[in-house]
Amino acid sequence: MLLTRVWLTDFRNYASAELEPAPGLTVIVGANGQGKSNLLEAVGWLAGLRSFRAAPTEALVRVGADQAIVRGEADRAGRALLIECEISRTGRNRTLVNRQPVRRTRDALDHLRAVSFAPDDLELVKGGPAERRRYVDDLLVAVHPRYETVRSDLDRILRQRAAVLKQSGGRSSPEIEATLDVWDTRLAATGEELAEGRAALLADLAPIVARAYLDLADAGAVDVTYAPAWRAEGLAGALAAARPDELRRGVSLVGPHRDDVGLDLDGLPTRTHASQGEQRSLALALRLAAARRLATTLDTPPLLLLDDVFSELDDARGEALLAHLPPGQTLVTTATAIPPGSRPERVFRVESGAVVPDLG
Amino acid sequence: MAVYTGPVQDLVDELGKLPGIGPKSAQRIAFHLLKLPRDDALRLAQVITEAKARVSWCERCFNVASEALCDICRDDRRDPSVICVVEEPRDVVAVEKTREYKGRYHVLGGAMNPLEGVGAEQLRVRELLARLADEAVTEVILCTNPNVEGETTALYLAKMLQDVPIKVTRIASGLPVGGDLEYADELTLGRAIEGRRTV
Repeated sequence: MLLTRVWLTDFRNYASAELEPAPGLTVIVGANGQGKSNLLEAVGWLAGLRSFRAAPTEALVRVGADQAIVRGEADRAGRALLIECEISRTGRNRTLVNRQPVRRTRDALDHLRAVSFAPDDLELVKGGPAERRRYVDDLLVAVHPRYETVRSDLDRILRQRAAVLKQSGGRSSPEIEATLDVWDTRLAATGEELAEGRAALLADLAPIVARAYLDLADAGAVDVTYAPAWRAEGLAGALAAARPDELRRGVSLVGPHRDDVGLDLDGLPTRTHASQGEQRSLALALRLAAARRLATTLDTPPLLLLDDVFSELDDARGEALLAHLPPGQTLVTTATAIPPGSRPERVFRVESGAVVPDLG
Repeated sequence: MAVYTGPVQDLVDELGKLPGIGPKSAQRIAFHLLKLPRDDALRLAQVITEAKARVSWCERCFNVASEALCDICRDDRRDPSVICVVEEPRDVVAVEKTREYKGRYHVLGGAMNPLEGVGAEQLRVRELLARLADEAVTEVILCTNPNVEGETTALYLAKMLQDVPIKVTRIASGLPVGGDLEYADELTLGRAIEGRRTV
């Protein structure tokens, strides 16, 4: 899979723009506020049909326009692939693959995959467990699509079960107990399934993350672990044990929705013990590892979109990053200079909504 | 939105309370009704009144009925030893269309849905247990929807019935007949593979 051309109409600050990414590394330079990230966001939309900045769709449509259009031309094993996305300010978005409308979002996603890194990803390391759960679960769904329903079922079961806990008003009755019993059985089965998926994926991923971190930082042993306390006895047992507490407090206390992923550096938890620089490198290593893991499943490496990545790293790490990029296409934006010693295949300059090749 | 003169707005408001009818559709239907010949409109009013007056719930299975028992419960060709448990009367119609099922039904009146305030006590579970005690039933088929709420309800009923010496079965999930594998969603196909059998 090779993305050969991207063009935008009325997307963010672009009235119209075009970009031809290189087969390897493409760097997009420009001062702040010129639209570098917007360009990556558009490419990300082609691959994921959503904004990696989690922006609402009306923010993606240029002021004064009704809809934004992002088109991408790709080459897949010698076959041309054309993906066209209409992003509507208010109505429904539409996606066409080779001029055929796509019925389900999932079908569109199968064509092009991307992994993106943005400065906000520091939260993967620094933020709460929810960030890390989302990281693992998103990757799990990308690798094994069936987890999409496991995830949505779990969410639904949790919400229904929370309603039972709330309605109980802290009091137990045979009726409440019997109702909770069945929701617990469902939660245990679905929760165990998700946890098993997470554990297997993270066991796979841990050495890849460790390697990616080492590539960047040159030192430091990273350990990625997933060992929720309840897994020893099983979720059914843990839920039974937590029942009185859950009823008293009226909230759900145990299960995969409360789990965390351990990220240790040289044996110490990075959230509290690592330096800002180490945390940044680890967040980036997590994304790079996701791209590498995804590549083994998809047989073709995903697009790697690195937004404003050099501002996060010193020169040595910036250089190390470019020297150890996963195979495949990478798009990098930067407001600062490209690290010395790196040789991007193509460089574009973005200036107030125009994209031009940078001839050095 | 502009408010119409009294009776028109009343009509729009009432129609808007119907399931699946938004404000726009309510307006459209209201004006359609106003344009109808008087007789046609009155006939609609009349059938609603009549349905409300004459239709009730079957005393045995809680299907819709125009007498004490529904048509199915009154039909003595039906096998009284099998009960198919469904969520809504419209599910009875769906199963009936197969013409494969010869037993009787039990309509729960929904599925367990705590978010909408529906628990087991709001469903006709107690009535089902009473029937199992009174009638000579040998099998209960749990025919609730294959979604989170329906599956949970089936699980709940299975638990309630585990000490009753009758066969309890759950309908299978799988591929639609006459369809193409390539159009099946991953979950359905996954379930179908899980529930495969030797031939």
